Amino acid sequence: MAFVFPAFIFVFAFMIYPLITSFYYSFTKYNYAYDDHPVYCGIANYLDAFKDKTFLLTIKNTFTFASMYFVLVIATGFFIALLLFYFKGRSGTFRTMIFLPTVVPISLAAILFNWIFAEHFGLLNYFIGSVLGLPGLTRGWLTNRTSAMLAVIVVTIWNTLGFQTILFLSGIQSVPSDILEAAKIDGAGAFQTIFRIILPSLRETFVITGIWAILTGLKVFVQPSVMTGGAPGNSTRVMYMHIYDTAFVNYNMGYASALGFILSAIILCFSLLTMKMNKGKEE
Amino acid sequence: MNSGRKKIQNLIIALVLLAIVIIIIIPVLYAIVTSFKLEKDIIGPDPSFFPHQISLDNYKYIFEHSELYLKYYLNSTIITIFGVLITIILSTMAGYAFARLPFKGRDTILGFILFIVTFPLALLLVPIYIMEYEMGLLNTNLGLILPNVTTVLPFSIFIMRGVFRSIPHELEEASEIDGAGVFTTWWKVMLPIASNGVSVVMIFSFYNIWGEYILAKTLATQASAMPLTIGLTLLRGEGWSYGILGGVIFLALIPPVVIFMIYQRQLVEGITKGALKG
Repeated sequence: MAFVFPAFIFVFAFMIYPLITSFYYSFTKYNYAYDDHPVYCGIANYLDAFKDKTFLLTIKNTFTFASMYFVLVIATGFFIALLLFYFKGRSGTFRTMIFLPTVVPISLAAILFNWIFAEHFGLLNYFIGSVLGLPGLTRGWLTNRTSAMLAVIVVTIWNTLGFQTILFLSGIQSVPSDILEAAKIDGAGAFQTIFRIILPSLRETFVITGIWAILTGLKVFVQPSVMTGGAPGNSTRVMYMHIYDTAFVNYNMGYASALGFILSAIILCFSLLTMKMNKGKEE
Repeated sequence: MNSGRKKIQNLIIALVLLAIVIIIIIPVLYAIVTSFKLEKDIIGPDPSFFPHQISLDNYKYIFEHSELYLKYYLNSTIITIFGVLITIILSTMAGYAFARLPFKGRDTILGFILFIVTFPLALLLVPIYIMEYEMGLLNTNLGLILPNVTTVLPFSIFIMRGVFRSIPHELEEASEIDGAGVFTTWWKVMLPIASNGVSVVMIFSFYNIWGEYILAKTLATQASAMPLTIGLTLLRGEGWSYGILGGVIFLALIPPVVIFMIYQRQLVEGITKGALKG
């Protein structure tokens, strides 16, 4: 017991206790700036959430972000993993370079891309305007509603693609080589092999990469917070950001806790759904 | 004929991979390259990707004029070093207990801890903020070290548990026959064998703590207490030139990239193996 005790103190003080406390706060009115004590108010906070237009908008934005991110990161991750798998030669350097952005802290990645997407002296506009010679297509990427969201997605993919690729690569490598050999002898082409043999045997890999992408997508906060602050016009404001601002800008601790539990419930639903869908297929 | 076609195929794959790698690397490369440019080459009439002339002016400026940046750097370093050390100590102890020492409700506790981790950090922030306010821990390095350790601890314990479970029982038994206590067995026999797992925990906690943003944004609101991840987002507003921005980003990336270069094999293979088992 003495071995677990020190770790338990940490987990209790900074996880279990805060979780229970915020569960309690979620049923209270508690403005940290004015109120001395939290005042019990039943499920009022949860009901208010569904009348909160900004919150509903952030749910929509979060889903837009998460679904686009999910599809793009899974598709590109799988594609690059296939390239690495089929490449005959020293793929170590490629693997290292593709994994490298994963070690860049996400807030630094966001600062870096802010600069690349900048209207004046940004790398992207320099490339489009001066290298491709299409100055008409340059723009302030972060000040336009659609492209701002896309920019946030691009950063997230850049930062997490390496991890997804390595997971897919290890999944593909675990496909028994005799099955691949047999397919080759039967005259199956690369596309047939990929769709008929590799894809169906990656079910477990898809559960891991899928849940991981869902968590990354729904918990998104740092990238829009650093890059756009939710602008232009709340178009990149996500759930997490709304929760954060409710708590630490407006000091509305009770309401923020309720919003946090709604986000947790959504995350839990989608994680379970992914697991269930993949279990269903096996039967 | 056939092998010729295969060679061409392989060449195409190599070229596509190369193009992908270039796109992936360019953002970081651009920051580094720009940090060695002169101001007039960055926003001058003739911009280019590579510098016309290599200059160290930006770095000179950072070290001479930005005390605040160096303070952020120091904070990040202190928080990360102590955070990683405490994580290693706690996770090797708890991991050993969860793997080998029988106690009541062992698996339930482990499952429960891993379940809590799925909750978004946002939920824990309010009580942690109030608690640290009352204890006077806001805007201190200690105030960031403690919750940082906690967020990386469950997964670290899980890794160490797996490592200890894979070590044969005979070694412990031999040590116990020699009359060693549980603590001595753990310290002298088990830990040295588990050193690979310890380095995985070290890398994992290092990246997470060095790159941590949300706790720092909440619990360190005074500039002097901020780590790099938060500090740099504020520096942007200081109207710095892009050359200096490139420099501060490059310097902030050195520790994680160096660790990555040293441990890349273990890291990439560790993920590969872990995923295979999972």
